Amino acid sequence: MISKTLTLLRKELIDASRDKRSVLAGLYYAIGTPLIMCGLFMVLINQLSSPDDLPIKITNADTAPDLVRYLGQKGINNDTGEQAEKIQLIISDDYAKQMAQGKSAEVIIVADNSEEQLQKSIRRLQLALQNYSMEMGSLRLLARGIDPRVLRPLQVELHDQATQDSKGGMIMGIAIFTMLYSVFISGMNLAIDTSAGERERNSLGLLLSHPVTTGQLVLSKLLAVTAFAMLGLVLILAISHFAYPMVPWPELGFSITITPSFMATVLVIGLPVAMLAASLQLFVSFMAKTFKEAQSYLTMVMFIPLALAMSASYNIAPDVLKWLPVSGQQGALMEVIKGKALPLQELLISSGATLAITLLLALALTRMLRSEKVVFGL
Amino acid sequence: MTQRYSRWIGLLFGLGLCHALPLPAHAAEQSSKSSSCYAEGLSDQLKCGSVEVAENPKKPNGRKIHIHYVVIPAIKNLAPEEAILGIAGGPGQSAIESAASFERMLSKARQHRDILLIDQRGTGQSNKLACAGEDLTDIIKLNDDAYDSAKETRECKAKLDADVTQYGSEQALGDFEVVRKHLGYQKLHLYGVSYGTRMAQLYMRDYPQVLKTVTLDGVVPMSQSVLAIGGAIARAQELVLEDCEKDPSCQQTYPKLRTEFENVQQSLSEYPVMEKVHHPVSGKTALLTLTRNKFLGSLRLALYSPAVRSLLPFAIHQAYRKNYQPILGLLAMQDGSMDLAMGMHAAVVCGEDWPRLTPALREEAAQSVMGQMMLKAMDESCPIWGIPAVSKAFGAPISSDIPTLLLSGEKDPATPPKWAEMAMQKMTNARHLVSPYATHNVVAQSCGGDLIAKLVETDDVKAIDGECLKKDVRRSFYLNASTVEPLPEEK
Repeated sequence: MISKTLTLLRKELIDASRDKRSVLAGLYYAIGTPLIMCGLFMVLINQLSSPDDLPIKITNADTAPDLVRYLGQKGINNDTGEQAEKIQLIISDDYAKQMAQGKSAEVIIVADNSEEQLQKSIRRLQLALQNYSMEMGSLRLLARGIDPRVLRPLQVELHDQATQDSKGGMIMGIAIFTMLYSVFISGMNLAIDTSAGERERNSLGLLLSHPVTTGQLVLSKLLAVTAFAMLGLVLILAISHFAYPMVPWPELGFSITITPSFMATVLVIGLPVAMLAASLQLFVSFMAKTFKEAQSYLTMVMFIPLALAMSASYNIAPDVLKWLPVSGQQGALMEVIKGKALPLQELLISSGATLAITLLLALALTRMLRSEKVVFGL
Repeated sequence: MTQRYSRWIGLLFGLGLCHALPLPAHAAEQSSKSSSCYAEGLSDQLKCGSVEVAENPKKPNGRKIHIHYVVIPAIKNLAPEEAILGIAGGPGQSAIESAASFERMLSKARQHRDILLIDQRGTGQSNKLACAGEDLTDIIKLNDDAYDSAKETRECKAKLDADVTQYGSEQALGDFEVVRKHLGYQKLHLYGVSYGTRMAQLYMRDYPQVLKTVTLDGVVPMSQSVLAIGGAIARAQELVLEDCEKDPSCQQTYPKLRTEFENVQQSLSEYPVMEKVHHPVSGKTALLTLTRNKFLGSLRLALYSPAVRSLLPFAIHQAYRKNYQPILGLLAMQDGSMDLAMGMHAAVVCGEDWPRLTPALREEAAQSVMGQMMLKAMDESCPIWGIPAVSKAFGAPISSDIPTLLLSGEKDPATPPKWAEMAMQKMTNARHLVSPYATHNVVAQSCGGDLIAKLVETDDVKAIDGECLKKDVRRSFYLNASTVEPLPEEK
């Protein structure tokens, strides 16, 4: 019984390796996604961060030399040129007069706040001006014999519970999502090929004329597709392990590292998902009449795990999602990356549900293949 | 000995108007166990803990004290076996309470390495040897000429539950090593500021093998006594007068500043001012007694911060015109801004600085008013503390080939640039950079943090480009109680 299944499995894998192009196409996802993501983030981070030395154009700079030097100390320099024109600081004509009278002097920042590249620099300029204003305010009070501490009735402290790892949680959520989703993509071509494809090549009937049970057949196909799905997962993890540390995350104030222990956790947690993916894809492909039909159905069906994982990674999900297949695993992995304990209960239930659905689909497949309509695609 | 004494002598650092008042970080109590905690002004989660050490290293089975530390974790730890150890000044400041300023100064270097802060024994959470401080009302009211520092010292000493003789720099250095080993760091990068530079130099002397780089900010050479800063204060005062004379608008506004300054001192030493004022914090009616010493003391504190320093010509001019409000404001800064552990301060200063005062140094100190004041206070209080003197060898300059960066501020009222030259006599791999505009604690006022990050990354002092220190970041002097900018010429 077992040896027959193994023989069948070997046959499936040999079949798969013969049709390298289409089957390997699935694996391109696993290789390409982390690289593309890291490339995008590199560009994005460079755009979002404010340069160490920020050139701005200051109008009326000679009215407020002390302010200009203060900004200079914060790396914000009065400059000319195209880059500097993007953020302008206009010091009002009566700046010195207002100041001398102890009033508020007007300074205007002119910039396009919708331009993402500028946002951080604009905030930086605002903050520097606020600090200057606060410092001068404090000294004005001192000069009048008043302790500046009276200006601070509240001492607000933020105790951020984020760890260095969890600060990258959003990005890690997307990364984990691409990893989990890779088990769906990587085995898909093989699943179609080994089901609808085999039927179109008329080799399925031939196979069933041998002394094998449909159960053994389904099991072997399931294992072959699962193996490919896991291969995709291993690939994406390995590439992520090297690609993610290359991105200058510290610019955003956190770091992302894919540690070997995290990779092992993903592999263990990902296995039931891979099996679910395999059974689901085989089931849908056998339901379809032709290869092409299978492809279009699967594309639609793949949307379900996509939606589940996505909503979990963006934290827009209702609570119930953490008990469901795919989203449950996604949620559990995100907790791990944030340095929290693995939510065992949720993980066990969602993994249990995953395996239960896998089993049901496998049983349904076994029954389906007993029908000639399905085997010959009538 | 009280807070008052600290106003005259403390070599403090990190004094800025925007600095929050120090409060203890909420660290764990257990020994040798770490947990997460927060420090004032810093939202990041920190790792806190403590190790148990013998109060007297020569009696390992005797009384135990806990040395507390915090680790500010690196953003992306590329060198987990290294840390940057920040050493606070004073002596008597808590490094943990200054965590936010250390983080600001070392934020570039923190990108790739942990910052380690240890409350030196006798400070902060490590068995703080504090004396009762005066509240602001007393600071304003009391006449320091009638101040009995011997009595205050005796009272404080009686209250402390510790063998004060064990709180010197060398004992504390042993604790630092215990903490380093406890946390498993193989190598340290040191950043010492003010008195912290003495601790760093001792580290270079005793444990050079664990140091990768050293940055000394506001250098106290081993051969110098921190009590010899009378001259530095006088120099910094003189620089304010000179800078004002060179600055057209300051010169125009206060043309006779120098004479006015002399006059105020003269008249205050003859007749201290006593008048009713509004309490700087509560606003209630309070009594101000202003002696010459208090006047000079309030100016001295202002010299530490470039921003507050810019208020000095105005404050002096107003005092000359009998308006003491600005001086009152400066006096208020003395409240809480320097929460020194005075017992520990005495253990260091009376053991390491006071006994080493040679007749020549005493004569030099006696040349300035502030120097005389300090000398008098120490001569009265140190015999009561009874701290044994360090050996002669203590003052030997450090020979070392560890990459060492020395930073000085030209306007420093505590550690003048020439002190750094003295300290580096026998350092073969050292560089001294002077910021022309900075006062005490250069890194907080300049691009010094970038230089440290570079040094830590490369281990090479030659790789450092000190050009950025020359950027003109001078602060203009206040021309009245509200502005620093001169009015444009009437057309």
